[in-house]
Amino acid sequence: MNRDRLLKGFLFGYLALVFVFIFAPILFSIIFSFNSDRFPTIPLGGFTLKWYETIWQDPDVWEAARTSLMVSISVAITATCLGFATAYTDYRYQFKLKPLYLALILLPPTIPLIIMALAMLAWFAKIGLSGQVVSIIIAHTVLTAPFAMAIIRLRLSQMDASLEAAAWNLGADQWRALRLVIIPFCKPAIISSFCLTAAVSFDEFAIAWFISGLNKTIPVVILEIVTGNIDPQVNAIGSFVFLTSMTLVIIAQVVLMTKEKKEKDHHG
Amino acid sequence: MPSADRSAPSLAKDQTSGGRVAHWPVFKYAMRLPIVIWQGLFFIAPLIFMVAMSFFVVRNYRMTEDFVMKNWLKMMSRDYFWDSYALTFGLATLSTIVVMTVAFPAAYTLAFRVSDSTRRWAVFLLIIPFFTSYLVRIFSWYVILAESGVINAMLSYIGLGPYVMLNTKFGTIVGYMTLTLPLVIILQTFSLANIDRSLIEAAHNLGCKPWRTIYRVILPLARTGLIIAAVFCFILSFGDFVSPYYLGGSKPPTLPILIIDTVKSGQQWPRAAVVAVVMMVTLFAVAFAGIASAYRRRGS
Amino acid sequence: MANALVEFDSVVKRFGDFTAVETMNFTIDEGEFIAIMGPSGCGKTTTLRMLAGLEEPSEGQIRMQGQVMNQVPPHERDTPMVWQSLALFPFLNARENVEFGLQMRGVDAATRRRKALEWLDRLEIGEFAERDVSSLSGGQKQRVALARSLVTEPKILLLDEPLSALDANLVIRMQSMLTRLQRELGITFVYVTHSQSEAFAMADRVVIMSRGHIAQVGTPKDIYRAPANRFVAEFVGRNNIISGHVKSATAKTVTLEGSLGTFKLNLGERPKPAIGEAGQFVIAADLVHLSASRPKSENVLECSLISEEFIGSVVTLFLEAPDGSEFKVQVQERELADMDLKHTDKIFVRWASERAHYICAG
Repeated sequence: MNRDRLLKGFLFGYLALVFVFIFAPILFSIIFSFNSDRFPTIPLGGFTLKWYETIWQDPDVWEAARTSLMVSISVAITATCLGFATAYTDYRYQFKLKPLYLALILLPPTIPLIIMALAMLAWFAKIGLSGQVVSIIIAHTVLTAPFAMAIIRLRLSQMDASLEAAAWNLGADQWRALRLVIIPFCKPAIISSFCLTAAVSFDEFAIAWFISGLNKTIPVVILEIVTGNIDPQVNAIGSFVFLTSMTLVIIAQVVLMTKEKKEKDHHG
Repeated sequence: MPSADRSAPSLAKDQTSGGRVAHWPVFKYAMRLPIVIWQGLFFIAPLIFMVAMSFFVVRNYRMTEDFVMKNWLKMMSRDYFWDSYALTFGLATLSTIVVMTVAFPAAYTLAFRVSDSTRRWAVFLLIIPFFTSYLVRIFSWYVILAESGVINAMLSYIGLGPYVMLNTKFGTIVGYMTLTLPLVIILQTFSLANIDRSLIEAAHNLGCKPWRTIYRVILPLARTGLIIAAVFCFILSFGDFVSPYYLGGSKPPTLPILIIDTVKSGQQWPRAAVVAVVMMVTLFAVAFAGIASAYRRRGS
Repeated sequence: MANALVEFDSVVKRFGDFTAVETMNFTIDEGEFIAIMGPSGCGKTTTLRMLAGLEEPSEGQIRMQGQVMNQVPPHERDTPMVWQSLALFPFLNARENVEFGLQMRGVDAATRRRKALEWLDRLEIGEFAERDVSSLSGGQKQRVALARSLVTEPKILLLDEPLSALDANLVIRMQSMLTRLQRELGITFVYVTHSQSEAFAMADRVVIMSRGHIAQVGTPKDIYRAPANRFVAEFVGRNNIISGHVKSATAKTVTLEGSLGTFKLNLGERPKPAIGEAGQFVIAADLVHLSASRPKSENVLECSLISEEFIGSVVTLFLEAPDGSEFKVQVQERELADMDLKHTDKIFVRWASERAHYICAG
């Protein structure tokens, strides 16, 4: 019994350490963004907001933030629409080539970003779309549509199979049933999908770096600052990026979790 | 006995070509085709074009469509390419072993030693880094691991160090772990949590010691999930350029860094394409081997 | 003579290699409460789904008021259904659920609301109109589902095992509500169920299905008292089936000779069988009389008692016939108390020959 408690203590300590490892870089980045030293270490230097002031006054950062915001919102919309249609197709229909169909959609996240970046760079140059904001949007949509599809598909599998048929039965054609029944039912998943695809797009740097040309996104700006030299500005931008992504991810999770919990409470 | 009455509706869904829905094909294809067109145009086409590009030529800094083996012969005959290949493969393998080992006790704890709600929260926490900037996290490690960074500063209080951690393989592995550890813990936790508890209790009951139970019962039962986790870990490490560049010092370069160097400095896209194709072939081989062994029957 | 509302004309439904419904012919009349009953997998739900347009017949025609419905998509039919799972829209409240069908028909918001509230009141759940459907009880949800289907004033209502999720007390109350509603509205109810008590309690006519075929169509009483074949006899209640060969036959009666003796039976509406043909007859367990001594009458069987089963005031006796087969008898408990069966190893059963019905062999 005692040995088991010891083991349990050891395992929980270990788990805590693993979480420290995972969250240390996020935490330190935020701490350092308020630290006055150019090269931050322990003991910490004085508190400062100068890094935030620097980026606040940097028009390039503002430009990049605008591009990033536009890209991630557009990506979230297109990827969620595409993901929804695909998830619905998978839920509703069986057809011969379905495994191939699903592979086509789910494969992109398994291809290394650097390879996707090179392939997109060359292809967009070939079809005359290089260096444009729209090319980043297209590329990020390819990358994030599978996430959207997975999240919405999971929600659809929780739906009573008769629900859609009930709408047809009451006089709704397929389009109206989709709009009035399927989409409202999937709403939490759609919101989640919107947030998560936006977060992925907001953080993606490899493809954006290769194909963005002059339309830099925030991660590309970070990449370029980091490549130059050590500049704590990065921590300030980074903290801002973390804040954005984490807000999106937490909204996504909370929306999904509370909905599921509510439904479970009523059924249970 | 399964009821055909109940299964009839789902069967009916399968028969869309001959059934009800055949009358409104617009709807069906409006749902089905957009993603095919999109991924065809912007995912499959670029990859195929990249393969084709590896046979193009560059003359006067301009790429011309052609079909020559020059790029392949050139890259294949260079020692630096093969050094880079061996290094990338070795680092990714090392990363997979390290991450799988480090993740296992954590996943074991989450799967068997905590309540369901704690596990849900832990998985939720582990998902967060996946959607936050990897680049900034690596930069943060850069500062933490530096010669006068946080870790060495703390070690100096107890009279140790300073240790060189940046521009080493250690640095690269720390970076890879930042990328892959959360995902691997999640995948391992799910595959362990799905094991039928009664089998583990049966093993204990039969006098199997805890360590032996892990080795003889838990690992074989969770094998498929664990191999999939390992394959993901390998793919992510193999394709990452940020860690080996910023934390590993990029000398010699890994394959992804080689691609960047070739594209950004020399305009030699076709040669970069050669590297990319070699990487893809390697990853397909690893994924295929992994999946084959994951679904192989025991004892054959 | 009532008018036919729905006609099934040689309807066949196949799913791949599996035939769910085989050459079905029958009509449903206007204003009729019809129950389709059978074990799971018999094709009853498929039949209902074909009526709603959710499945298209592989062969044959389904006509409604003379019009061929095969190609009509579900949303263009007026065949509302009450689903086994109820399929209430979880993101709408009770009133909005009821309004759905009206909304699809382009009814304006004010009328929609008024009609929805009327129906909710009529089904005695008006006070829950603005409640989330997930917060309603099973019986209340059931009423919302009914209101949702009836609000458009259809000619026909389809019900797919709507009471299967409710507990026994509630089932009885919902049954009487459904029969009352059907009478008041005068519309056709098509009620699919596997429960004999539900079907027999409510329906004017019952269709019994087995493996995609119609085994019998008739009033509950016909089916109960004169099952058409062995499947129905076994599926419906406690029946005894005895086999033999036809010894003689008239237009009304048959004499059957078998290993248990010679029996006279009622032929009913059936065609006269040939002499020497193998045949069977059914005698319901509750139409049998018991005695401790051999009675002086026709249709007597000498049995021994195996076991008894008490359900309320009714006792089922499980007897063994001389050839070893089981024979079931249902009597009132008080009736049994008058007889002293405990001290006799022989029990004589007898029945009136008009109670025994000839059925085809097989």
